[in-house]
Amino acid sequence: MRTVSISFTLNGRPVTREVSSNQILVDLIRRQERLLGTKVSCDQSVCGACTVLVNGEPRSACAVFSFEIDNCDVLTIEGLGDGDNLSEVQNAFLDNSAFQCGYCTSGMIMLITALLKQEPDPNEATIRSWLGANICRCTGYQMIIEAVQSAARAQS
Amino acid sequence: MTDDKFRTIGKHHPRYDGMDKITGVARYAVDVEIPGMLHAKVLRSPHAHARVLNIDTTKANALPGVCHVATRSDFEGMQPVYGWLIKDQPVLAIDKVRYVGDMIAAVAAEDEATAYRALDLIEVEYEPLQAVPSIEASLADDAPALFEEPQIGFVNRYGTGASAVKEPRKNVCYQFNYKTNDSDVFDGCDHVFEDCFNFSRMQHFFLEPYVAVAQWEGDQVQVWSATQSPFLNRKELSRIFQHPEEKININVFYVGGGFGAKTGCKTEPLAVLLARKTGRPVRLAFTTQEQLLTNTQHAATLILRTGVMNDGTLIARQSEILLNSGAYSDASPLVAEKVGYRIPGSYRWHHIDTKVQCVLTTQVPAGAFRGFGGTQAAWASESQIDMIARRLKMDPYDLRVKNLKNLGEAFVPGESTIDSDLKLGLDLVCEKLNYRNRSRVRGHGMGLSVVLKDGGGVNKAAHAVVKATTNGGIIVNSATIELGQGAHTALTSLVAEVLNCKWEKVTFAPVTTNSTPWEQGTFASSSTTIMGRAVMEAAEQVKQKVLAFAAQDLDCAPEDLSLVDWSIRKGNESFPLGPMIMKHFGGPGFEFTGHGYYKPQVPGDHSAPLETPVDFWEIGWGGAEVEVDEQTGQVRVLKLIVSSDFGRMIHEAACRGQDEGGAMMGLGQALFETIHYDGDVPINSTPLTYRVPLSTDLPDEFISISQEQGQGRGPFGSKGGGEGGILPIASAIANAVHDAVGVRITDLPMTPEKVLAALDRQKSTKK
Repeated sequence: MRTVSISFTLNGRPVTREVSSNQILVDLIRRQERLLGTKVSCDQSVCGACTVLVNGEPRSACAVFSFEIDNCDVLTIEGLGDGDNLSEVQNAFLDNSAFQCGYCTSGMIMLITALLKQEPDPNEATIRSWLGANICRCTGYQMIIEAVQSAARAQS
Repeated sequence: MTDDKFRTIGKHHPRYDGMDKITGVARYAVDVEIPGMLHAKVLRSPHAHARVLNIDTTKANALPGVCHVATRSDFEGMQPVYGWLIKDQPVLAIDKVRYVGDMIAAVAAEDEATAYRALDLIEVEYEPLQAVPSIEASLADDAPALFEEPQIGFVNRYGTGASAVKEPRKNVCYQFNYKTNDSDVFDGCDHVFEDCFNFSRMQHFFLEPYVAVAQWEGDQVQVWSATQSPFLNRKELSRIFQHPEEKININVFYVGGGFGAKTGCKTEPLAVLLARKTGRPVRLAFTTQEQLLTNTQHAATLILRTGVMNDGTLIARQSEILLNSGAYSDASPLVAEKVGYRIPGSYRWHHIDTKVQCVLTTQVPAGAFRGFGGTQAAWASESQIDMIARRLKMDPYDLRVKNLKNLGEAFVPGESTIDSDLKLGLDLVCEKLNYRNRSRVRGHGMGLSVVLKDGGGVNKAAHAVVKATTNGGIIVNSATIELGQGAHTALTSLVAEVLNCKWEKVTFAPVTTNSTPWEQGTFASSSTTIMGRAVMEAAEQVKQKVLAFAAQDLDCAPEDLSLVDWSIRKGNESFPLGPMIMKHFGGPGFEFTGHGYYKPQVPGDHSAPLETPVDFWEIGWGGAEVEVDEQTGQVRVLKLIVSSDFGRMIHEAACRGQDEGGAMMGLGQALFETIHYDGDVPINSTPLTYRVPLSTDLPDEFISISQEQGQGRGPFGSKGGGEGGILPIASAIANAVHDAVGVRITDLPMTPEKVLAALDRQKSTKK
């Protein structure tokens, strides 16, 4: 297997890595970097659990080759905020209990972070449409939608 | 209900697991990685039913990087079968395979890619046999038997009116009967209506895959597993491997959803076997595709014969229910009990007669699924109640209210009493739906449903230990698994309330069966009521010990003292406990420990039909407003209302989340979600083709009403939650469709094709 050298920023930190040419981004993130907050579920780019931001765009990390992120900016849940410094979206998830099992949560938070960057004040139809990219089997979505609305208010 | 007498109960605070989950630090079994760990993959049967003549692993074993290829021959001297009451499911196929997806061999290799390559090199010689991919095919006189011999297992013990038979006939693994003694009452009924309903099967589609990592350290087995039932799985592993329970330690972290499916062994036996064979840690994770081929809900056919009077008084119900168990019995016998026992629904009857058979077919095994037989019973019962009302020209609301059981009325003789006002809840739903003023325009309709199921499980018992550190940190040792339902949040609140401390002081110890106190498993909506009372008792013991200790130190009676934020209050004086403890016990400090235990009372005469009386009644009220497009058959849900009675909410958002999540599952079940078979073969068992509800499927308006009627027998008047929300949804929508266009859909899911076909039948009858 060929290896390629790629340089990118991961959660704000510039890194250079040797990766095999068939490596998937989520394996780079989880196995090589040991950033375990990004989850894998369907592994076929259907469920969105592995959503990360590549240059600010939500991408299923299970469906991106590592070499594709050469010179890109990659953001995972670990780069968004920690216990002392939560993002507005994380705060809104906490306040609204917009999660249950937590397995879709990292991906949902990344997706919504991108949504609010593109549309700071989305209406409910826009939110429903965006969230349609990711599956949550636990909540029935309504409490996540309310968290998006509350994050949007907090950001404005 | 925010109540000033409480400090934590019912108050808004973040969930216990919140910070971990929003920052990505929450750990799951899927994250476990041990140095030297191998990866395992499973070879599955392409045949629905076949004899396994020969398995040749020579080529697979020779592939570099392969450490072991496991087949049936690895289980000599063991009991390699499992199941709840009947142990008929082999860890790997023995003589036959019985469904497409049945496990036949497994490879442990240095990496997953190698394991996959090795699977292709395993040569299996099958002799295909006739498949029985439906209840009907399996019960046909000339159908082949899936099992030629009786399987290991037993029949549960029952009380008055209930009985069961193991393997009563070919391809039926269990039959449950419940009957009261008044069958003559049918003769006096003005009408007897017989209707047949079909219930389709969903898959749980939790997001964290089935996964286990196993490792042998000498004779000590370590297992990390995404399971709802570590102690049940330990018992199964102990029997399969003939290895003592105390030498098998199962560790559980957060679990990424279960909905019933993660009860009982799934990946654990193979991981343990491969770890033993290779001497290395082994990780076995199923893909979503494999998950869809591992376990499902029970499809069912339900025939109800219901006797009523002209004025709408319900008299008697006889039901014949066939559950599609799939290839192995799994939880089927217990689901049979529950679907049979729950068929009377929320109403008063003079006579009930129920027969449920678990039919083995060559399909994916069916097991525990949110609602556990209650969803099947609700679909048939609440649909038929509505049909009867319309036949008698009564409003379905009126017929329901006329027959609803009262608060405090026994469910059946010998059983515990109903602990919710059923009419009160129905009226709340009607009000939100504006049911009384509904439009009578064709194409537009409303439907109701009110369903109840017994909650808290059978013979469920729980231990818990609570420890308080020198400085008042509280550690809860409880085997309740946090699956997302919010159990840790509820238990945190209960402990903080008893010990009068901030909820942030409470921490959960990791679940590890060698040291975590025993409990049956995290299911049956039982965590708040059963484990809740165990942790409260443990916390109360800690409190009493602390007060007794302080009383000695302060030379007074414990009754003169109270505990507030780890300080002792005596009149107007306050004494911090930390220094008091250090003074008494010295530098190392001390911990106070309490042990709690709870099991619902068993009456001496065992008259409750399911042996122990029901701990609480979980109620699901539903209301739907729909628009039916008569050109396309499309049902659009304009408004969906779901409601449960939590007795008292320990944590409001957690309760609400259970209802809404359950209701959306119910919506999927009602309209589109199902596993499709084309003949013998499942055709949508992939993540892309198996459709679950998305946010874009939400009804225009989605309302949940979390009731607190205050009648629960659980902590502070609480009742369990989690399954109520799914129960009424499919029938409420079917009833609304009937209200809208006058056709009755009796088969789930209510796809446009079925609605159109029903509309066509309606047109041709009118001509």
